[in-house]
Amino acid sequence: MKAVILAAARSERLHPFTETRAKPMIRVAGRTILEYMAQALRDAGVVDLVVVVNHKREGIQRYFEHGHNFGLNIEYVLQDPIDGIGAGLRRCEPELNGEPFLLVYGDILATGQPFTALTEQFGESGCAVAALSLPPSSSEFGNVYLDNDMRITRLVEKPTDPTLSNYVFAGMFLLPPTIFRVLDQCQHDIEQTFQTLVRDGKFHGVLWEGNWIDIRRPWQILEANRMIMDMWRHAEIDATARMEGNVRIEGAVHIEEGVVIGSGSILKGPCYIGRGTYVGNNTLIREYSSLGPDSVVGYGTELKNCVLFARSTLGRLSFIGDSVIGEGVHIGSGVTTVNVRPDSQPVDVDTEDGAISSGMAKLGAFIGDNVYIGARHVLAPGTRIRSGSVVADSITQPSIL
Amino acid sequence: MCGISGVTGTGDVVQILYESIRRLEYRGYDSCGLSLVHNGEVAVRKNVGGVEEVNQREHLTSMKGNAGIAHTRWATHGKVTQANAHPHLSMDGRFSIVHNGIINNYLEIRRELQDQGVPFVSETDTEVMVHLVALAYAEFGNVEDAFLAAVRRLEGSYAFCMVTSADPEAIYCVRAGSPLVLGVSKQRQFVASDVNAFLQHTREALTMEDGEYAVLRPTGVSLRRIADRSEVTRPHLHVEWDAETSRKGGYAHYMLKEIFEQPQTLLNALNVPRAEIEKYAQMVQNARQTYLMGVGTTHYVALTGQYFFSQLTGRFLPAISADEFRDLAVVGPEDLVISISQSGETYDTRRAVAFAKERGARTASIVNVMGSSLGTMTDEVILQGSGPEICVVSTKAALAQMVILLRVALELGRRSGPIDSATYKAYYKDLEAFPSIVQNALNERSGVVRNLADRVVQYRNWLVMGRGIYYPISLEAALKMKEVTYLHVEGMPAGFLKHGTLALVDENMLSLFLLPPVELKTLHEQTLSALEEVKARGGPVAGIVFEDDQRAKELIPDRVELPVVSARVAPLLSLVMAQLFAYFAALKLGRSIDKPRNLAKSVTVG
Repeated sequence: MKAVILAAARSERLHPFTETRAKPMIRVAGRTILEYMAQALRDAGVVDLVVVVNHKREGIQRYFEHGHNFGLNIEYVLQDPIDGIGAGLRRCEPELNGEPFLLVYGDILATGQPFTALTEQFGESGCAVAALSLPPSSSEFGNVYLDNDMRITRLVEKPTDPTLSNYVFAGMFLLPPTIFRVLDQCQHDIEQTFQTLVRDGKFHGVLWEGNWIDIRRPWQILEANRMIMDMWRHAEIDATARMEGNVRIEGAVHIEEGVVIGSGSILKGPCYIGRGTYVGNNTLIREYSSLGPDSVVGYGTELKNCVLFARSTLGRLSFIGDSVIGEGVHIGSGVTTVNVRPDSQPVDVDTEDGAISSGMAKLGAFIGDNVYIGARHVLAPGTRIRSGSVVADSITQPSIL
Repeated sequence: MCGISGVTGTGDVVQILYESIRRLEYRGYDSCGLSLVHNGEVAVRKNVGGVEEVNQREHLTSMKGNAGIAHTRWATHGKVTQANAHPHLSMDGRFSIVHNGIINNYLEIRRELQDQGVPFVSETDTEVMVHLVALAYAEFGNVEDAFLAAVRRLEGSYAFCMVTSADPEAIYCVRAGSPLVLGVSKQRQFVASDVNAFLQHTREALTMEDGEYAVLRPTGVSLRRIADRSEVTRPHLHVEWDAETSRKGGYAHYMLKEIFEQPQTLLNALNVPRAEIEKYAQMVQNARQTYLMGVGTTHYVALTGQYFFSQLTGRFLPAISADEFRDLAVVGPEDLVISISQSGETYDTRRAVAFAKERGARTASIVNVMGSSLGTMTDEVILQGSGPEICVVSTKAALAQMVILLRVALELGRRSGPIDSATYKAYYKDLEAFPSIVQNALNERSGVVRNLADRVVQYRNWLVMGRGIYYPISLEAALKMKEVTYLHVEGMPAGFLKHGTLALVDENMLSLFLLPPVELKTLHEQTLSALEEVKARGGPVAGIVFEDDQRAKELIPDRVELPVVSARVAPLLSLVMAQLFAYFAALKLGRSIDKPRNLAKSVTVG
C-alpha cells in the first residue's frame, strides 16, 4: 500500500517558520515532522510515499531525495497552483495504480502506530476509514458523530456550542480508489467528498487514543516537541559526545554525535542536543529544550522549553524560554525572551489575523530563519520576527512582523 | 450480531471450518452450526449453545467434505432453538445457507412461497433465501443464475454464504450491508464476517463491497458485481495485524468499545420480552421478601435497583452482596432471590444462590451469557442480550442490568398501585428515547470528558459523591475508577460528609460530585451544600452536572455538562459519563485498561 502525504500548502498561520520551509519540514526533538510520520508508516509496512509538494518544495526534496536514506521510496507530485486538499489528492491518482491508499496531512504528528488500526478497519468495513482523535480544544475543529459500528453518521464543520467536544479527523485516512470518482463529483472539494461518503454510509472511523497534534500555530511546535519528548524513557548519549568536567545530566537526555558540553553545565531531561552542537561552560539546559544540529550555545546561557531548528548561535548569558528559533539564527549575548505577562494572563501573539490568544501562560518569541539579533535585547512575550530580519540596534521593538 | 464463514479446498475442511467459528464466537455464541457437501449430499449439523458445547453434542468435527459453511449466532431477540439455528436447508435438501443481517421483506416472500406450497421449518427470515434459490435453480438449471435471482428479490442488509450439491466444490456468497471478507491462498479459499476466521491460514485478504458477490472454488475466487455480473479486480490486502486487535473494531480498547456500544445494549435491554419482565414482577409480588444479589459491580447494580423498587413500588428489596449473603440474608421457602451476573459463573453468586436454594427459596437471575451455571441453577432467567463483554471492567452489561431492574420495578409498581398508567407510559417514553441520548452524549462530549480527566488525574485520592440514587451510582463510578486507574477512589454518600468523610478533605483529595437534575430540588440542594462544604475546606472539586444547572456551573469550573434529560433516566446518563471519565483517566495514566492488574473477568473461584 502507498501513502499520500500532503505537503504543498503555504500555511501563513505558521509564519515565520513556513516562510522558508514546507510545514512537514518543521523540526521537533531533532527530527522533521515528516520523518516521524514516515517512520510510523514504515513500521506499518508502508514504504512507498507520494508526497504532494509546491511551497518550498526544494527543501523537502533536498532533504529526503527519493527516500533511500530513510528506507523509503518517495515520488513527488507537484501541485501547481496550490488549489486545495481535494485537488492535490486528485493529482495523485496515476501514482496509486487503482489500489487503496493512506492519506496523511502534512501538519499532523502522532506518536505510536495509528496506521495499522486504519488497515484493520478497512479490512472489516471495505470502505473509507478516517482516524479520529480528541483534540486538546475543539474550537478550531469539526465534530464527528459515530454509530455503534463506527460508521460516521454526521460531520459538523464548526460546532457552535463551546461545551461540546468530540472526536475529530486526525488527518490520517485509508481511502479506496473509488474516492477519485467521488472527488470528481464534488469538484475536488474534500469536505464535500467526505460529506458524500457519510451520506452514502461509506465512511468509517477508528479512534486514535495515542498522542496527536495538528500543528497549526507556532506555539503548537512547542506542544509537539513536548509530546515527542514525553515518550522518552531513557537517556541516549552518542559515544563520540565529549563532556568536560562537572557536567550534570538528569533524566532522558538525548545527545548526538560530536556534541561538546563545557564544564559546569547542567542538562535536565527530557532534552535534545543535536549532532555537532557546542554547549559552553556553565549553561543550564532545562526540560523540553531541543537544540538542532550544529548549534552553538554561549557561556552561562539558560534554555527552557524551546526549539532551535538548526545552525543557530546563542550568545553568552542569554535566556531563551518557551520560544521557537529557526535555522541559521544569530542571537547576541545577553538576550532575554520574556515569557510571562505582568498580569499573568495568557500570552497574545500578533498574527495576520490580528492578535490572538495562545492560551499559554508562558510564551516567549518566534524567530524566523537567518534572523540577526544584536546584544542585550529583551523580547516581549509572543514576539514574532520574520525570517531574515536584522535587529541590530539596542532599542527593542515589542513586536516586529 | 452473527458470524458466518465458509471454506473450500483440496482435502477435508471441517477442522478449519470449525476453528473459524470458534474465532468468530466473540460475535455471538448462543447457537451454531456447520454445513458441508460430501459425496454429493449436503449435510447440516446445528444446535443451541456455544461452539464447543454444540460440538460435544452434535460432533460437528466428525463431519466430512471439501466445501462447507458455518454460523455462530447471538440472538438479540427471538427464540434460540435448534430449528432457528443456521445453516438452513432448502426444501429439496440441495442448498444450504448461512446469513448475517436482516431481510426486511421476508414476510411477504414467505407468504408467497407458502402459497406455492413451500414448507417452512424455522421462524427465521433466512429461510426464504434458501427456498428462493432452490426454486430459481429448478427454473434456470444454473446455480449462479439462481443465486443472483434470489438475491435480487431481497430487501435489507445482509451477507450470505451458500453451498450446494449442484456445484459441490463451490461456495457462493454475497455482501449487501453486512460485513464479509474473502481470504485467498493456493489450496483453499475462505470467506467470513471478518478476517479472524481465517487469519491462521492466510493473510491475503480480498475485501468485498456492498453489491458484490463471489464464487469460491478450491483453486480461486471470482468476485463480481450483482448489477451487471462484471468482474471486479482488486488487489489483495496483506493483513499485518494479529487476531486480537482486529476484534476491537476501530477502538483502542474493549472498554471504550463497550462504552460506545451502550446505545445498542440499552435497546436490547428494552427488547427483553415484556412477558419475562411481568413474570419477575409477579414473583416479587408473591414473595414474602425479595433479595437483590450480586457482587462487585453487580452489587452496585442491585443497590441502584433497590432505589428503583423503593421509589416505584413502595417495597424495600434489600440488596446484599453475594459474599455476605449467607451471613446476612434470612431466606426461607416464601422468599425470592434475584441474582445478577454478567458471566453467570461468579463463584460468590453461585454459592449464595445454592444457599438460598437449600433454604427452599425461589431463585431468578439476570445474566448476559447464555447457558451459564447461574442460568441453569435458578428457577427463572432473563438474558440481557448485551453481547460479549470482553473488558474485565463491566460497563455495558451493568447499565443493561439496571434498565432491566427498572423495568421490573415499573411493572410491579403498576400492578401494586403506586405507578399509574400515565407515569408508566412516561417512563417508557423516556427509556425508549434514552439510547439515542446516550449516543449523542458520547458523540458530543467525549472530548470534554477526556480534557477533564487529563486535568484532574494528578490527584491520587478521590471521593465520588452523590445522594439518593446518585449514591449507588457514585459507588459504581468509583469502582470503575479504582479498577482501571489503580488510584484510591471511594464512593461516598454526600450526606455523610459531616459524619466523618470531611476529615479526609484537603487540597490533595479530589471530590467528584454527581449532581442530580435541578428539578429534583431537595436532592439537588443537598448535594450542592455538600459540595460547598468541601470547597470551604479547600478541597478541589469536579462534577458531572446537567447543563441547565447554573449554580453548579458557577461552583465547579472542572466539570462535564450533560444535556438536560428526564430525571427518570438521568442517573444512568451520569453513570455513562463516569465510565468514560474512568477510561480517559486510566488512558492518561497509561494503565492496562482491558485487563487491570490483579483482576479477572469472571471470578469463578472463591
